[in-house]
Amino acid sequence: MEKLVDSRGSACPGPITDLSKAYRNSQVGDIIVLWATDQGVKADAQAWAKRTGNEILEMKEEPDKIVIKIRINKR
Amino acid sequence: MSKLSIICFSGTIDKLTSVGVLAQAGAAMGMEVSVFVTFWGLMNFTKGEKKAIMPKEFEAYGPMMMEGMKREHVKSWYEMLKEAKEMGAKIYACSMAAGVMNIKKEDLDPIVDDMVGAATFLQEAEGGQILFI
Repeated sequence: MEKLVDSRGSACPGPITDLSKAYRNSQVGDIIVLWATDQGVKADAQAWAKRTGNEILEMKEEPDKIVIKIRINKR
Repeated sequence: MSKLSIICFSGTIDKLTSVGVLAQAGAAMGMEVSVFVTFWGLMNFTKGEKKAIMPKEFEAYGPMMMEGMKREHVKSWYEMLKEAKEMGAKIYACSMAAGVMNIKKEDLDPIVDDMVGAATFLQEAEGGQILFI
Protein backbone atom coordinates (compact mmCIF):
# COMPACT_ATOMS: atom_id res chain seq x y z
CA MET A 1 0.00 0.00 0.00
CA GLU A 2 1.29 3.47 -0.81
CA LYS A 3 0.75 6.19 1.72
CA LEU A 4 1.35 9.92 1.31
CA VAL A 5 2.66 11.87 4.26
CA ASP A 6 2.45 15.61 3.73
CA SER A 7 4.90 17.43 6.03
CA ARG A 8 5.25 20.56 3.98
CA GLY A 9 5.78 23.63 6.12
CA SER A 10 6.73 21.57 9.14
CA ALA A 11 10.13 22.35 10.71
CA CYS A 12 12.63 19.78 11.93
CA PRO A 13 11.95 17.34 13.59
CA GLY A 14 8.38 17.47 12.25
CA PRO A 15 8.85 15.58 8.98
CA ILE A 16 10.75 12.72 10.58
CA THR A 17 8.08 12.54 13.29
CA ASP A 18 5.34 12.33 10.68
CA LEU A 19 7.34 9.63 8.89
CA SER A 20 7.78 7.71 12.12
CA LYS A 21 4.06 7.88 12.87
CA ALA A 22 3.18 6.60 9.40
CA TYR A 23 5.75 3.85 9.87
CA ARG A 24 4.03 2.71 13.07
CA ASN A 25 0.82 2.16 11.13
CA SER A 26 2.50 0.48 8.19
CA GLN A 27 3.21 -3.07 7.14
CA VAL A 28 6.21 -4.68 5.46
CA GLY A 29 6.06 -3.93 1.76
CA ASP A 30 4.27 -0.61 2.15
CA ILE A 31 5.61 2.49 0.45
CA ILE A 32 5.58 5.80 2.27
CA VAL A 33 5.90 8.94 0.17
CA LEU A 34 7.03 11.87 2.30
CA TRP A 35 6.60 15.46 1.19
CA ALA A 36 8.62 18.04 3.08
CA THR A 37 10.07 21.50 2.73
CA ASP A 38 12.60 21.45 5.61
CA GLN A 39 16.02 20.89 3.98
CA GLY A 40 17.21 18.77 6.90
CA VAL A 41 14.81 16.03 5.87
CA LYS A 42 17.15 14.71 3.18
CA ALA A 43 19.86 13.68 5.62
CA ASP A 44 17.36 12.89 8.37
CA ALA A 45 15.31 10.49 6.27
CA GLN A 46 18.51 8.64 5.37
CA ALA A 47 19.53 8.44 9.02
CA TRP A 48 16.04 7.28 9.93
CA ALA A 49 16.02 4.60 7.23
CA LYS A 50 19.44 3.36 8.31
CA ARG A 51 18.38 3.13 11.94
CA THR A 52 15.04 1.48 11.34
CA GLY A 53 16.22 -0.85 8.58
CA ASN A 54 14.05 0.58 5.83
CA GLU A 55 14.92 1.64 2.31
CA ILE A 56 14.93 4.95 0.51
CA LEU A 57 13.81 4.20 -3.03
CA GLU A 58 13.87 7.72 -4.34
CA MET A 59 14.66 11.22 -3.22
CA LYS A 60 13.98 14.15 -5.48
CA GLU A 61 13.78 17.86 -5.14
CA GLU A 62 10.82 19.50 -6.81
CA PRO A 63 10.44 23.29 -7.04
CA ASP A 64 8.04 23.41 -4.09
CA LYS A 65 9.00 20.35 -2.07
CA ILE A 66 11.32 17.45 -1.41
CA VAL A 67 9.81 14.07 -2.26
CA ILE A 68 11.15 10.96 -0.55
CA LYS A 69 9.90 7.48 -1.30
CA ILE A 70 10.56 4.86 1.36
CA ARG A 71 9.90 1.14 1.28
CA ILE A 72 9.08 -0.47 4.60
CA ASN A 73 11.25 -3.58 4.85
CA LYS A 74 11.23 -4.03 8.57
CA ARG A 75 8.67 -3.71 11.30
CA MET B 1 16.72 -0.52 21.38
CA SER B 2 19.18 2.38 21.63
CA LYS B 3 18.62 5.01 24.27
CA LEU B 4 18.77 8.77 24.48
CA SER B 5 18.76 10.32 27.93
CA ILE B 6 18.57 14.08 28.27
CA ILE B 7 19.31 15.97 31.44
CA CYS B 8 17.28 19.16 31.17
CA PHE B 9 19.08 21.48 33.58
CA SER B 10 18.49 24.88 31.96
CA GLY B 11 15.37 26.95 32.29
CA THR B 12 15.74 29.28 29.33
CA ILE B 13 13.63 28.89 26.23
CA ASP B 14 16.55 28.43 23.82
CA LYS B 15 17.87 25.39 25.64
CA LEU B 16 14.39 24.03 26.32
CA THR B 17 13.79 24.18 22.58
CA SER B 18 16.90 22.02 22.07
CA VAL B 19 15.58 19.55 24.62
CA GLY B 20 12.26 19.42 22.76
CA VAL B 21 13.82 18.98 19.32
CA LEU B 22 16.20 16.21 20.40
CA ALA B 23 13.61 14.37 22.47
CA GLN B 24 11.15 14.41 19.59
CA ALA B 25 13.77 13.50 16.99
CA GLY B 26 15.10 10.68 19.17
CA ALA B 27 11.63 9.25 19.70
CA ALA B 28 10.94 9.52 15.96
CA MET B 29 14.16 7.61 15.33
CA GLY B 30 12.77 4.81 17.45
CA MET B 31 15.05 5.49 20.38
CA GLU B 32 14.02 4.99 23.97
CA VAL B 33 13.99 8.60 25.17
CA SER B 34 13.99 9.82 28.74
CA VAL B 35 14.24 13.41 29.93
CA PHE B 36 15.41 14.07 33.46
CA VAL B 37 14.40 17.56 34.49
CA THR B 38 16.39 19.22 37.22
CA PHE B 39 17.22 22.61 38.73
CA TRP B 40 16.28 25.56 36.50
CA GLY B 41 14.65 23.24 34.05
CA LEU B 42 12.14 22.23 36.67
CA MET B 43 10.75 25.75 36.91
CA ASN B 44 9.05 25.15 33.56
CA PHE B 45 7.53 21.83 34.51
CA THR B 46 5.00 22.93 37.08
CA LYS B 47 1.31 23.29 36.29
CA GLY B 48 0.09 26.45 34.66
CA GLU B 49 1.38 28.88 32.12
CA LYS B 50 4.93 28.43 30.80
CA LYS B 51 7.14 31.51 30.85
CA ALA B 52 9.53 32.09 27.97
CA ILE B 53 12.73 33.17 29.66
CA MET B 54 15.56 34.26 27.36
CA PRO B 55 19.17 33.96 28.53
CA LYS B 56 20.45 37.36 29.68
CA GLU B 57 23.22 37.61 27.08
CA PHE B 58 20.83 37.02 24.18
CA GLU B 59 17.87 38.93 25.52
CA ALA B 60 18.04 41.52 22.73
CA TYR B 61 17.53 38.72 20.18
CA GLY B 62 14.41 37.40 21.91
CA PRO B 63 11.76 39.00 19.68
CA MET B 64 13.68 38.04 16.53
CA MET B 65 14.01 34.46 17.68
CA MET B 66 10.36 34.14 18.61
CA GLU B 67 9.33 35.67 15.30
CA GLY B 68 11.63 33.31 13.39
CA MET B 69 10.25 30.29 15.22
CA LYS B 70 6.73 31.36 14.37
CA ARG B 71 7.64 31.98 10.73
CA GLU B 72 9.32 28.58 10.38
CA HIS B 73 6.47 26.82 12.21
CA VAL B 74 8.79 25.54 14.91
CA LYS B 75 6.65 24.06 17.64
CA SER B 76 7.08 25.07 21.24
CA TRP B 77 9.36 22.92 23.39
CA TYR B 78 6.29 21.82 25.34
CA GLU B 79 4.49 20.63 22.22
CA MET B 80 7.63 18.85 21.07
CA LEU B 81 7.91 17.03 24.38
CA LYS B 82 4.25 16.05 24.09
CA GLU B 83 4.97 14.65 20.62
CA ALA B 84 7.95 12.75 22.00
CA LYS B 85 5.79 11.33 24.76
CA GLU B 86 3.21 10.16 22.26
CA MET B 87 6.02 8.13 20.72
CA GLY B 88 7.02 6.65 24.06
CA ALA B 89 9.37 9.18 25.68
CA LYS B 90 9.34 9.51 29.45
CA ILE B 91 9.82 12.67 31.50
CA TYR B 92 11.13 12.55 35.04
CA ALA B 93 11.47 15.30 37.61
CA CYS B 94 14.46 15.32 39.93
CA SER B 95 13.22 14.82 43.47
CA MET B 96 16.08 16.72 45.09
CA ALA B 97 15.72 19.83 42.91
CA ALA B 98 11.96 19.72 43.47
CA GLY B 99 12.60 19.72 47.20
CA VAL B 100 14.98 22.65 46.93
CA MET B 101 12.41 24.64 44.94
CA ASN B 102 9.56 23.58 47.18
CA ILE B 103 7.79 21.89 44.28
CA LYS B 104 5.53 19.01 45.32
CA LYS B 105 4.65 16.06 43.15
CA GLU B 106 1.11 17.39 42.74
CA ASP B 107 2.50 20.75 41.52
CA LEU B 108 4.15 19.10 38.52
CA ASP B 109 2.78 19.51 35.02
CA PRO B 110 0.90 16.38 33.82
CA ILE B 111 3.60 15.96 31.17
CA VAL B 112 5.91 14.65 33.91
CA ASP B 113 5.67 10.89 34.38
CA ASP B 114 7.28 10.55 37.74
CA MET B 115 9.55 12.07 40.33
CA VAL B 116 12.76 10.12 40.68
CA GLY B 117 16.29 10.34 42.05
CA ALA B 118 19.58 10.58 40.20
CA ALA B 119 20.29 6.89 40.62
CA THR B 120 17.11 5.92 38.78
CA PHE B 121 18.05 8.19 35.90
CA LEU B 122 21.60 6.83 35.69
CA GLN B 123 20.28 3.29 35.79
CA GLU B 124 17.87 4.04 32.93
CA ALA B 125 20.52 5.91 30.95
CA GLU B 126 23.20 3.25 31.22
CA GLY B 127 24.59 2.13 27.88
CA GLY B 128 22.93 4.91 25.91
CA GLN B 129 23.67 8.47 24.89
CA ILE B 130 23.42 11.11 27.57
CA LEU B 131 23.02 14.82 26.88
CA PHE B 132 23.29 17.58 29.45
CA ILE B 133 21.37 20.64 28.32
